[in-house]
Amino acid sequence: MQECNRSQKIAICTVGLPARGKTYISRKLNRYFNWLGYKSRVFINGNYRREICGTECNSLFFDPNNEEAQKARSDCAKMALQDLIQFLKNGGDIGILDGTNITKERRHQIESDLKSSFNGIQTLWIESICNDSKVIQNNIRLTKINNPDYCNMDSEQATIDFLNRIKMYEQIYKTITDDEDLSYIKTMNVGADIIVHQVYGFLLSKVVSFIMNLHTYPRPIYLSRHGESQYNVDDRVGGDSDLSELGEMYADKLADFFNQEFPTKEIKNEIIFLTSTMRRAIHTSDVVAQKLEIQPLQLKTLDEINVGICDGMTYTEIAQKFPNDFQERKINKLGYRYPRGESYLDLISRIEPVIFEIERSRQPVMIIAHQAILRCLYAYFHQNEIPEVPTLDIPLHCVIKLTPAAYFCDEKRVMINPQTGEISIKEEYVQEFIRSKSKQKSFIDL
Amino acid sequence: MQQYKKTQNKLILVLVGLPARGKTHISYKLNRYLNWIGYKSEIFSIKGAQQNNDQLDQNIDYELEIDPANQQFVDVRQQLSFTAAHQLVNFLQNDGDIALYNGLTSTKLDRQKLKSLFKEKLKLEYQVFWIESICDDPQVILNNINESKLSRFKEKTIEQFMNQINVLAQDYESLENIENLSYIKLINIGKLVKVHMLEGYLCSKIVSFLLNLHANNRQIYLVRSCQTEYHLLDKIGGDPELSATGKQHSQQLGDYFIEELKGNKNITFFTSQMKRGIQTAEIVGDKLGIKALKTKNLDEIDYGICDGLTVKEIAAKYPKQIKERKANPLEFKYPRGESFLDVIHRVEPIIYEIERSREPVLIIAHVAVLKCLYAYYHCNQINEIPNIDIPINCVIKLVPIPYHCLESRVIIK
Repeated sequence: MQECNRSQKIAICTVGLPARGKTYISRKLNRYFNWLGYKSRVFINGNYRREICGTECNSLFFDPNNEEAQKARSDCAKMALQDLIQFLKNGGDIGILDGTNITKERRHQIESDLKSSFNGIQTLWIESICNDSKVIQNNIRLTKINNPDYCNMDSEQATIDFLNRIKMYEQIYKTITDDEDLSYIKTMNVGADIIVHQVYGFLLSKVVSFIMNLHTYPRPIYLSRHGESQYNVDDRVGGDSDLSELGEMYADKLADFFNQEFPTKEIKNEIIFLTSTMRRAIHTSDVVAQKLEIQPLQLKTLDEINVGICDGMTYTEIAQKFPNDFQERKINKLGYRYPRGESYLDLISRIEPVIFEIERSRQPVMIIAHQAILRCLYAYFHQNEIPEVPTLDIPLHCVIKLTPAAYFCDEKRVMINPQTGEISIKEEYVQEFIRSKSKQKSFIDL
Repeated sequence: MQQYKKTQNKLILVLVGLPARGKTHISYKLNRYLNWIGYKSEIFSIKGAQQNNDQLDQNIDYELEIDPANQQFVDVRQQLSFTAAHQLVNFLQNDGDIALYNGLTSTKLDRQKLKSLFKEKLKLEYQVFWIESICDDPQVILNNINESKLSRFKEKTIEQFMNQINVLAQDYESLENIENLSYIKLINIGKLVKVHMLEGYLCSKIVSFLLNLHANNRQIYLVRSCQTEYHLLDKIGGDPELSATGKQHSQQLGDYFIEELKGNKNITFFTSQMKRGIQTAEIVGDKLGIKALKTKNLDEIDYGICDGLTVKEIAAKYPKQIKERKANPLEFKYPRGESFLDVIHRVEPIIYEIERSREPVLIIAHVAVLKCLYAYYHCNQINEIPNIDIPINCVIKLVPIPYHCLESRVIIK
């Protein structure tokens, strides 16, 4: 994996009224950083407040004139910041402070606390502004679902209370101004307008690009391996073999499946269809392409992991010829690099541009590729931890449909029998998982 | 992603801004970048139209000359701006992919007229993205004038330029959201950036690229890793270690850079993940007291089935491939390996890093990779890449300056 430039600690702080997508941005960024190999963590003001003041706070708690409550909230915010600073001091690379931070005083305090705690730290402020009531309503609906504050209220009451809470914040909200001398990014109305002020540095420049392309569109991502190949039959790794007879049958049935999945010509034309430059993937894609009358883009970036000198061997042959490597790979499948080839970490690095492209797209994405590469793609969107990547189950003759949404990722697996065309479906919802995670004060990788 | 370009609509990038705001510099850099990543891109400007017109006095800067009493200048400028726009339309109607326009765009009316012209004359799908450069830092403006204007118009003084610009500034209208344009505003060379209605893969890439531009003229050093066994055996590819001579040369390289960099430890230092790259970089790095960042993006081109063979063996075993490579050296892909186009794509993130860096950049890598990096700064067309000469034991020093790139080569003995 590419060596990360770890010279400076980075602290990122959000700014904005409730239901403006701050937590969404924090989580997405956190995911992206951890994926790139950095130690990143989010510290959520709200969770500190919940833990210390309890979850039974109604909107009056947020009245700026409620002095006692103000003090309590201020103390909680200080704790979150302190934990962030500790995290960075103990080996963390990037700390993300997820809070409203809507007053100049608060921002100034945080900025000076951060600058005084470290010899050289880069700070970045991300303000999310939104005046579109539809977007806000939608965000409230989502926030409400996951928010432990409202688990005992009925839905109508909760909405009213939340809107009142926002009104309290609005009274004292001051947008970031240039005289505060902060490095900031302002994103308005989900990226329609973006302002970048004094943002420099390798990683922060990447953050800008990332934020510019962020959206909450729930578009589906279809992942499938090529049909069974000759090498699969012979149990060999690498190579550029073509499909076996069974593999060809799968390609056919896959085309039928996608034809059903995308019923109209309009929908078909919108699909972003990607494949690799290897024969088995191209062959599979061509069959699908013909049926749907669309063209795939062949990207070398999606080629299977390069197994170097082991190319064309069976696992038994590798065990015999290179017993040390075989052992090494068993112990550290993630970091082990085939001599003259790649490791899973290299793959993760290699696919970064593709991940970026998929994040950016608001249309359905269809990818026909290979096992190792799909493990990496799947892991990113399905929010698996990196060490899990090399052992994820991505079987042949199966279409995995992922629908990443704001706080979770739905998954549906469609196993297609290549001979009979029979379909069996398995669905998974991750909402409960997210609810439990959101109760933690901070989390490493969500 | 180069393959994306085939499905891309035509793209027009329109530059907006007062003189001495770096518009030409931005258009030049963007044009270079877009051609490098595989698009057919060209700049259409008042200057360009003027240079193509023999009947005009080439000593007059029609962009700047403004004498409200002299209607003739105003008319000529309009004409040139118009001509450039027509040439642009022609270019896109044929096989051009991206056109950059540097003409009359300072008022809302100018921009409306331009939009209408495109709508009327372009008979295919296209997208327009507006790039405005704003500057209120007098020092920066002064530098711009010094570097770009004075050389062309030697009879003028700086005061004259500033006065003319101030006159033009009175009628200048910055881009506004109500004009319903997709734009980026770069203020004081990226200190503040505003983006409005950004759409599409290519515009997104262009914005990322623009965010990294700056006006520092810093040096870029390109060096090959030193001698290995494979060199002596005339083999290509592989992952061999440095020979004893190679290690010696690396020491000398280190000494050269000690003098050259004069103790500057803030340089951007990259190498590949191949043994010869790492070893050379370690020896040089030790002398300088800095560590190189190792990235697989700088690894040598993958020679596929030809990896580890000598040139003679390849000629004997794969005569068909040799023929193919001769016919089209840029796009030729070694079977199970890469082509130069793949390398360009792979090396693109490094270009971003180089552009972003305001300190000197030192890259220790390999022939094919360096050819691609070099081409970004020097070649106008990427099909020149296979013929670029990158000798071993030679430090190529590039210093990009406005509209140009200085080069010097030093052989290390």
